[in-house]
Amino acid sequence: MKEKRFYRIRRFFSGTPALGWLLGAFGAVLLESLVGDPFSEILGLPKIPVLFGVVIMLKKPALIPGAFAYVLLIYAIPVILFTRITAKGMNWMADKLDKMPLWFSAALHLLVLYFTLDLWAQVSDYRLLLIKLMLIAIMLTLSLNVINGYMGEFSCSHPGFMALGAYVASVFTVGLFMNDRLFGHALLPAGIGQFLFPIGLILAGAIASIGALVVAIPSFRTRGDYLAIISLAFMFIVKSLIENLEVVGGPRGLSGQPDWATLPTVFIWAILCVWTINNFVESTMGKALNAVRDEESAADAMTVNTRKTKMIAFMFGAFWAGIAGGLLAHVLRYINPGTFGLQKLAEVLAMVYFGGLNSVIGSIVGAVGFNLLSEMLRPLEIFKWIIIPVLLILVMIFRPTGLIAFKHFDIREILKPKLKMKERV
Amino acid sequence: MPLLQVKNMTHFFSGLRAVHNYNLVIEPGEIHGLIGPNGAGKTTIFNLITGVYTPTEGEIYLEGESIVGMQPHEIASRGLGRTFQNMKLWRHMTVLEHVMMAHYSKLTYGLVGAFFGTAKRYREEAEIEKHSMELLDLLGVAQFADQNVLNLPYGVQRKVEMARALAVQPKILFLDEPTVGMTPEELVGMMEVFRTIHREFGPAIFLIEHRMKVVMELCEQIQTLNFGEVIAEGTPEEIQRNPKVIEAYLGKEEVE
Amino acid sequence: MTFTFFFQNVVNALQWGSFYALIALGYAMVYSILMLFNFAHGDIFMVGSYIGFGVATGLLYLVTSGFIPLPHWLVLVLTIVISMFLTSFVGVIVERIGYRPLRNAPRASAAITGLMIGIILETGNLALLGARRLNFPSLIMSRTYEIGGVFVTNKKILVVLVSIGLMLALDQFVRKTKWGMAMRAMSYDFVVVPLMGVSIDVIAPLTFAIGSGLAAAGGVLYGIAYPILDPYMGILIGWKAFVAAILGGRGSIMGAALAGFLLGFIEIFVAMIFPSTLRDLIAFSIVLAILTFRPYGFFGKPYSAKLRL
Repeated sequence: MKEKRFYRIRRFFSGTPALGWLLGAFGAVLLESLVGDPFSEILGLPKIPVLFGVVIMLKKPALIPGAFAYVLLIYAIPVILFTRITAKGMNWMADKLDKMPLWFSAALHLLVLYFTLDLWAQVSDYRLLLIKLMLIAIMLTLSLNVINGYMGEFSCSHPGFMALGAYVASVFTVGLFMNDRLFGHALLPAGIGQFLFPIGLILAGAIASIGALVVAIPSFRTRGDYLAIISLAFMFIVKSLIENLEVVGGPRGLSGQPDWATLPTVFIWAILCVWTINNFVESTMGKALNAVRDEESAADAMTVNTRKTKMIAFMFGAFWAGIAGGLLAHVLRYINPGTFGLQKLAEVLAMVYFGGLNSVIGSIVGAVGFNLLSEMLRPLEIFKWIIIPVLLILVMIFRPTGLIAFKHFDIREILKPKLKMKERV
Repeated sequence: MPLLQVKNMTHFFSGLRAVHNYNLVIEPGEIHGLIGPNGAGKTTIFNLITGVYTPTEGEIYLEGESIVGMQPHEIASRGLGRTFQNMKLWRHMTVLEHVMMAHYSKLTYGLVGAFFGTAKRYREEAEIEKHSMELLDLLGVAQFADQNVLNLPYGVQRKVEMARALAVQPKILFLDEPTVGMTPEELVGMMEVFRTIHREFGPAIFLIEHRMKVVMELCEQIQTLNFGEVIAEGTPEEIQRNPKVIEAYLGKEEVE
Repeated sequence: MTFTFFFQNVVNALQWGSFYALIALGYAMVYSILMLFNFAHGDIFMVGSYIGFGVATGLLYLVTSGFIPLPHWLVLVLTIVISMFLTSFVGVIVERIGYRPLRNAPRASAAITGLMIGIILETGNLALLGARRLNFPSLIMSRTYEIGGVFVTNKKILVVLVSIGLMLALDQFVRKTKWGMAMRAMSYDFVVVPLMGVSIDVIAPLTFAIGSGLAAAGGVLYGIAYPILDPYMGILIGWKAFVAAILGGRGSIMGAALAGFLLGFIEIFVAMIFPSTLRDLIAFSIVLAILTFRPYGFFGKPYSAKLRL
């Protein structure tokens, strides 16, 4: 029964490999950058619709036809035409790539993806910011999924890890390379800072994972609910600690981070994050997390070092949360302790459970979906915060573990050539 | 040197004596049975030896090395495999993943391999996958390798659990009521599995069992436990004739 | 630090702890009986406070316009009782929407729906009443008594007495009545007890209703003590009460109340000794230390409470 649902739509879109979709999207974005401006003028739109016209539609209902036509003519029709016409060629290419080493094929796809995002972001600074925040959200969601999904704990400490990372990275860059009110003159020339930025981020991740020990060590003795409280207490402690550290600005926050979190930087870090986490959870060592979650005593009896496993999960998750925090600080270029409070916690938890537990692809979908939704519904003002929770409740009721839960993220499977679905008999 | 030796083991649960002055010697390849009425402390003894609990008093030696106070996974990786009364399968994992997981202590690729997917990692994963498939094949459940365990029939689940315990390459195998809840046909199949395991790998087996047929047929030595104490020990024939055993345990069965 | 100063803080801590305790009770009941986190509970406290505001304003209007002559103390009692009654329906609705459909789902999912319902309650309030802060009408004349140098206001006495009274009433309810016993039975085993003819579809809403009623009482008392209401007032106090509830230990409803008072004491006394900015830091470090040494809370027993997926 389930197979038959949306059969026609699915059949219509089948037969195009990932490469085709990516190139199609690139084509559409290219089209937009070439003719977007005159085109939106013809359709009576004030400027290029930033988010697929949704924001404009919600703001000014009179512009709905124009925005709709824009999306149709710039995105939908070109992509569909492109993918259908080139399906054969794309499949041929995907087949060729499939025979080459996976890293090469993956890198090529990622390159196309990057250029698509870059070109799309060139239209407005808002889009650029949105993409960066989305990539950071992916890192956060995925790293929390390692703890809450793969290992099945209910950790509330993620904002704390982020805060540690954000502050460590900020102190590293602001303190060493910037002239600043708090830290005085730059110790090193800013020119080399850009190249040392990764070291600052890794440091941020490392400090965050040391902080994770505070939660990981009690997890040897206690589980579930009590660990939730311990992690929550940890989050409050970190926030309060930073508020009381006048060296880093206390409650007023810390600003003046250099603009080093460029799109390529954030993109590369996000890819690294997805890559290592996916590698980890697909290895037997990473699957030990699932064994600990599902039946800890059996895992222990089957030679799994449960303490080490828990420690790795917490520290690894915190590491990426720290890096994401560091990047976030350099994207926003201002942080204060309030950034990493209960609201952030609710947001990250929502993304994880919305996208799907125990699933890399679920986390990506969750983070991107949540952020897009949140931005698109912005014109609704506070009603946004009724619609999004209602949607999440519905997701929880109908898919209690999230949209795409317990799925393997098989890159080869995603990239391989696709056959056209058969006509229904 | 005996394979496993337990000397004067006593254990209290918050003041309540669960096991008293327990002794055990198992030689390599021997099949040893542990019987006794419900609540006699059989599973507690398993949990004490396998490291789930640390005994209040007493010594435990595995191949001459004291294992008291070790974590269960350390004891397991020294060659002690076990099954559970209620199986304790991992609900979101496939059959193959179960058996591969029990190779955990043999993995040497470390965190670098896990995070970055080194060649060594893929080589080791391929090796343990091959070994796991061999085990599944031996127990006749290889065709279920990619299925989630929860969807499988009970008898198959039991075999998966057995394969998982074998994957730690045990010198001694602890089986906690492995035939509980089985139909007569499944029981015959399971007995065959025991014999196959013993023939192929020759581990010593320490068996908790309620079905007298299984115990009497398989075991060379049997201990009878009641209220945490061994009340009788000997060959199956001796145990069957022992009046204490009949009183504590078998007697009840005759009434039924 | 003088003696009177110390006792002054004891009084303050008792009052502050009362709020935590009243909210923690609701968390602990849902948690003990249904094994769920009700993350909407802090916002139910907020709703209770707003309902209290509405009821109090309405009653005062009736009294001042001479419509129904009521003595002042009766207005106060009626405000508390009516607010508790009305808010308990909010709890029932929360259970119906957010928890009942998820009864067989992983527990973490239900925690997320609770979190989301909390956001809906906050935003709904904001949408209905706007961003302005409301002033809770003063139901009793503030009076200050001096007992050996310690200043005690009648409001503080009221808060503490009403809270303790409600806790004792809950304790009696859980011990003596049929429904209370059914709840306790459910907290031991919610697989078997439904087979004995106690329906979880009755017990669960009842649990939510009572918990919400207590939170509403907390909300009204809070409004009396700190008369400024805003839609986000329940978040921080709710999460802290949640910490107290778990600190008390599973299966121990009164443990949660005690832990609530304890948290109040820790916070007030930390603020007394150290600069008040360090309050959260030290208070939660203490919580962390307690849970490190007693991993299952004060009155809880070790159990396997995995958030099963």
